Amino acid sequence: MSSEPNAYASHPPRMREATILDKVVANGGVMSIALFFIVCCLFFSVTTDAFLTAPNLLNVIRQSAPLLIVAAAMTFVITTGGIDLSVGSVLALTATLSAAALQAGVPWPLAILLMLLLGGVIGVIQGYFIAYERIPAFIVTLAGLSVIRGFALLITGGYSIPIEPTSPFVALGRAWILGIPAPALIAIVILAVAYIAFNETHFGRYVTGVGANAEATRRAGVNTRSVILWVYVLSGTAAAAAGVILSARLGSGSSNAGQGFELDVIAAVVLGGTSLFGGRGSLTGTILGALTVAVLANGLILSHLSPFFTPIVTGFIILVAIWLNFRLFRGGAKGR
Amino acid sequence: MTDTHVSRVRMTGISKRYGALQSLDNVSLDLKPGEVLGLVGDNGAGKSTISKVLSGAVIPDAGTIEIDGKHVAFTSPADARAARIEMVYQDLALCDTIDVAGNLFLGREPKRRVAGVPMLDKKLMHERARDMLSNLGIVIPDTRMKVENLSGGQRQSIAIGRAASFNPSVLIMDEPTAALAVAEVEAVLELIRTVSQRGVSVILITHRLQDLFLVCDRIQVMYEGRNVAERRIEDTNIEDVVNLIVGRKFAARSAGHNREKGASA
Ligand SMILES: Nc1ncnc2c1ncn2[C@@H]1O[C@H](COP(=O)(O)OP(=O)(O)OP(=O)(O)O)[C@@H](O)[C@H]1O
Ligand SMILES: [Mg+2]
Repeated sequence: MSSEPNAYASHPPRMREATILDKVVANGGVMSIALFFIVCCLFFSVTTDAFLTAPNLLNVIRQSAPLLIVAAAMTFVITTGGIDLSVGSVLALTATLSAAALQAGVPWPLAILLMLLLGGVIGVIQGYFIAYERIPAFIVTLAGLSVIRGFALLITGGYSIPIEPTSPFVALGRAWILGIPAPALIAIVILAVAYIAFNETHFGRYVTGVGANAEATRRAGVNTRSVILWVYVLSGTAAAAAGVILSARLGSGSSNAGQGFELDVIAAVVLGGTSLFGGRGSLTGTILGALTVAVLANGLILSHLSPFFTPIVTGFIILVAIWLNFRLFRGGAKGR
Repeated sequence: MTDTHVSRVRMTGISKRYGALQSLDNVSLDLKPGEVLGLVGDNGAGKSTISKVLSGAVIPDAGTIEIDGKHVAFTSPADARAARIEMVYQDLALCDTIDVAGNLFLGREPKRRVAGVPMLDKKLMHERARDMLSNLGIVIPDTRMKVENLSGGQRQSIAIGRAASFNPSVLIMDEPTAALAVAEVEAVLELIRTVSQRGVSVILITHRLQDLFLVCDRIQVMYEGRNVAERRIEDTNIEDVVNLIVGRKFAARSAGHNREKGASA
């Protein structure tokens, strides 16, 4: 009782300046994947001679371009609380159709444009069912996965369609510009645009809002249905771009391309700390997650281990990284 | 200045059905400029639903709405916002993973153009958010904090700040004081007084009946989705209101010392 006056007056301020540790904990998702990425790189640098060489690293980036591009778009989708399982099938369809279009004599810029358009239209159709008909994204895109892959198989009869190696189209997958592979350059540009869109624009803000509390975002006057539709247009278009780049790099379009690609993409996004429940997304995390998946695949091959180890190790790392997120980092950032 | 002959809000014959449940049955609501209306009723009486109809969040099955004498048909909350109707929702309608400033400006974030591309003006948002909060006497350490890390009362204050700060002409508050401490409740009541003096019409939904008598001009009682009574504040007292809410004579302990008087009335 005698201490009452002091109790109000003299006490240290409740908020201290955010320390570096606070910031690390607050960005737990990104931090744990950054840690994993560095550990993987160090491990393969030490255990193999070939890993830490410029040609190999550039090769990793070149090969992971489709993954990076689609994972960037998938970050938007998952942040709204949705999922797009059809990206691997869209990749296969556009890879085969671009090869078929070139074979039929369609000029290559037009072929690329048509493929991107096709990916966008697929996104509109799936997005319509998800946003306006309220069918769960998992179901709509699972159906999409099956139907779209079916079309790719039907068109090619299961064979792959070759692309003329002299066509300027293949430069998209094989050219080097200023010492950097063209697919890597494309991926970097797309990632930069995605980063800005996600963090600095109204659209990105509403994507997070829809995932955090869709009804609250709707009540704030945001057209949440169109936001949801658009994220599937993004993922469809990104998957089409990935299909074009892949067929250009391989010099053929195969209807069997991208089997299980959607799982790699989702793994990369989730590894990066984006929550499957929506509302929390990080593009920086996604980039690190995709690179970790790519480095693992590359490093395990260079270690002369069976390539079949890749899915096993990737799976374990997903589990451990997410577990770290929950236990180590999230514990400090959130009181729950 | 304010023309008291034209109602700011006139809702007539509003009905809304959810499956088997008639949530609103031919409800009417009238609100003059600068008037403070207390909307009371049992749990599930339909108070939140009728106010969501006014804020565009719920589309009624039947009925008409007039704002300042002009017929309107809200198809989304954006339409109601454009008509300067703001609401503090009972569930607060905040996005947990977005920061304080982001929640205050949700749906109307200031733009800046970078090379012609419209982007969020985060700096301006945080500056104005700080001003908005300090004008309302709301103490939040940092507008960059995520809303999920705030206390229940702080979250409620953010929801109130958001509704009150964008120059509303109708302000609907659905149990705005449920989580607030003593001083904060006083501040909300004071806010209602000052905005209504400026000509803002206010609908206050609350179960704290004593608050109604501090700020309201009129009380409207709902029961099972219908209007059942309306009283000018000077013609009623807490017990009368309690009896109207529960729909029978009820010597409620919460009615306080006037128990005997209420029982005999
Ligand atoms: N979206 C909905 N779906 C189904 N029923 C609903 C919905 N919204 C409201 N209701 C029903 O309508 C009735 C009125 O609900 P409302 O939320 O308007 O009550 P209230 O008067 O605000 O009650 P409280 O004091 O508990 O907040 C309730 O019986 C509720 O179950
Ligand atoms: Mg209610």
